[in-house]
Amino acid sequence: MRVRLENITKQFNKDTKAVNNFSAVIESGELVTLLGPSGCGKSTMLNMLSGILIPTEGKIYFDDDDVTEMPSDQRGIGLVFQNYALYPHMTVLENICFPLEIKKVPKAERIARATEMAKLVHVDMLLDRKPGQLSGGQQQRVAIARALVKQPRLLLLDEPLSNLDARLRIEMREEIRRIQQETKVTAIFVTHDQEEAMSISDHIILMKDGFLQQFDEPQVLYDSPANCFTADFLGNPPINKMEGVVRNGEVYVTDANLPSGVKIDLPEGKEVYLSFRAESAEYNPEASLKGTVIMTSVMGKEKITSIKLGNMEVRAYMDAKLTLKSGQEIGIGFKDTGVFVFDRETGERYL
Amino acid sequence: MKKIKFSTVLLYLVLFFGALIMIFPFYWMITGAFKTGTEIVQMPPTMLPNSFTNLDNFKFAFQTAPFVTYFINSVEMMIACVVLCGVTTILTAFAFSRLRFPGRNLIFSCLLALMMVPFEMLVITNYRTIVGWHLHDTKWALILPFTTSIFYTYILKGFFDSIPESLYQAAKVDGCSDWKYLWRVMVPMSKPSLVTIMLLNAIATWNSFMWPMIATNSKEVRTLPFGLYAFISEGGAKNERMMAAATVVVLPMIIVFLVARKYIVNGVARGGLKG
Ligand SMILES: Nc1ncnc2c1ncn2[C@@H]1O[C@H](COP(=O)(O)OP(=O)(O)OP(=O)(O)O)[C@@H](O)[C@H]1O
Ligand SMILES: [Mg+2]
Repeated sequence: MRVRLENITKQFNKDTKAVNNFSAVIESGELVTLLGPSGCGKSTMLNMLSGILIPTEGKIYFDDDDVTEMPSDQRGIGLVFQNYALYPHMTVLENICFPLEIKKVPKAERIARATEMAKLVHVDMLLDRKPGQLSGGQQQRVAIARALVKQPRLLLLDEPLSNLDARLRIEMREEIRRIQQETKVTAIFVTHDQEEAMSISDHIILMKDGFLQQFDEPQVLYDSPANCFTADFLGNPPINKMEGVVRNGEVYVTDANLPSGVKIDLPEGKEVYLSFRAESAEYNPEASLKGTVIMTSVMGKEKITSIKLGNMEVRAYMDAKLTLKSGQEIGIGFKDTGVFVFDRETGERYL
Repeated sequence: MKKIKFSTVLLYLVLFFGALIMIFPFYWMITGAFKTGTEIVQMPPTMLPNSFTNLDNFKFAFQTAPFVTYFINSVEMMIACVVLCGVTTILTAFAFSRLRFPGRNLIFSCLLALMMVPFEMLVITNYRTIVGWHLHDTKWALILPFTTSIFYTYILKGFFDSIPESLYQAAKVDGCSDWKYLWRVMVPMSKPSLVTIMLLNAIATWNSFMWPMIATNSKEVRTLPFGLYAFISEGGAKNERMMAAATVVVLPMIIVFLVARKYIVNGVARGGLKG
């Protein structure tokens, strides 16, 4: 099912607008991640999709139906919560059956469908257990099965993995991806973890302070951020961000007091940020930008190098064959991709 | 061999004597019920009655006072109070815990404030109401004032509040009504608390004395504790007979307590963990 959000605003009280003039179209069968720092309005957005909250302004469409004010139970959605929200006194099977029981599905069919769903999420050998006797990952699987058993048009997941430990998180996010692709259900997944978002989504919606920042495929978000915030938010290690000014059509790095060699067509004296990804810098003795090596650590065929540039420190991947000693001065050149120039005030991207 | 600490020995000694002090009156009552009039005043006292088959005291008790009627009345009153009060408590606690309505907190605060008024002060108003409704000296007079309890509501609301909101939202999204959610999710989840509340209520009703004494006159509607009191004043103060009557009154509660012990301990322990 296709989800269309038109100019959604949610205002809780006079000065908190949790979501601000938010428009997006989520295509049928896709897994879309709502990504953003804590408090940016992700849960609020999701709760408006599920009908727990009603938007102050704007419209929500499921396919062509206006569902903006439709009660949750008529929307045909499945919800998965961060704390799983399983009924502790019911067995796994009873939990998965519960949505069907409410819909008055006959008992035999109920059990058949629940068992099938349990197989899909690999908890079919745990049907008689109570949630308290399951691990976190198993509980989350049951919660997903319960959300999917009534064949919702839309699956909403609010930080479903944040109560799990690091390894299980990776395993479960792949599971969620697999289940989503097998059932072909349209899914919206909320997270504040950019790695999680990058690894499972068809598209990512990046939010900040209630505003949509960028809505694109993960790779596009990474390779071509719309603004400074997107560039800062994505990537590990985080992007290197240096203050600069434009002199003679070139960005001067203020901290190092050296020209960067990055050419740009902007008015003289314009204050900008020069950002580059760790993999976009290269060792270049001829480069005009020079820094001092602080330390290096080898990671396979590359080594991550911390370099002091004036008052600040940047990190870059260098060829592992290079011998770099701490204290040594090196020239930093840039590759064609992964180097950006942003407006220092608005965050707008120039390069 | 494992060394037993002196403090442990001391602890068990204290507990042992504590238990002894608690149990002894019951022991004395039950054995006394089997003794004859001369045996019970005998010096030094006997620890065990001469014969456990001496049922004269019980016979006398049942002959002079209609203890069977009292017993049935007591059971009726207890069941009615526990069930009715249980239902109203569940509904009220749910309303205050989950439903949003204007003045919710204010109303709840007022109810809590009412808890500060001791029952003895309400006796007069309750009595006038009961008389006004022409229910004086009927079984309804025994039941009606105890069909709600602010205290139990308060306890249960506390437990309901601790159930995560997301469970409610999950059920709502699936189309579950408030009514169904209450009985299918909240009530089963609060079973330990509910059992504790109902047991406390059962014990309190079983033992209630003052209100039945005020609200009833005739033998037909008397309950056991008041019946016991009446028996003593009507049948003369014979220790061994009093013991027999008291045993009859107390025994059912002891049995209930033993059966439900698991739940009581569970309920209290859970409350403690949440604390
Ligand atoms: N019921 C409410 N009343 C008032 N303000 C609220 C309410 N719910 C959320 N907010 C505010 O709206 C903003 C967005 O909240 P929201 O819960 O959507 O954030 P989030 O992106 O889900 O954050 P997190 O990652 O921490 O869950 C926050 O500033 C929050 O304080
Ligand atoms: Mg949230």
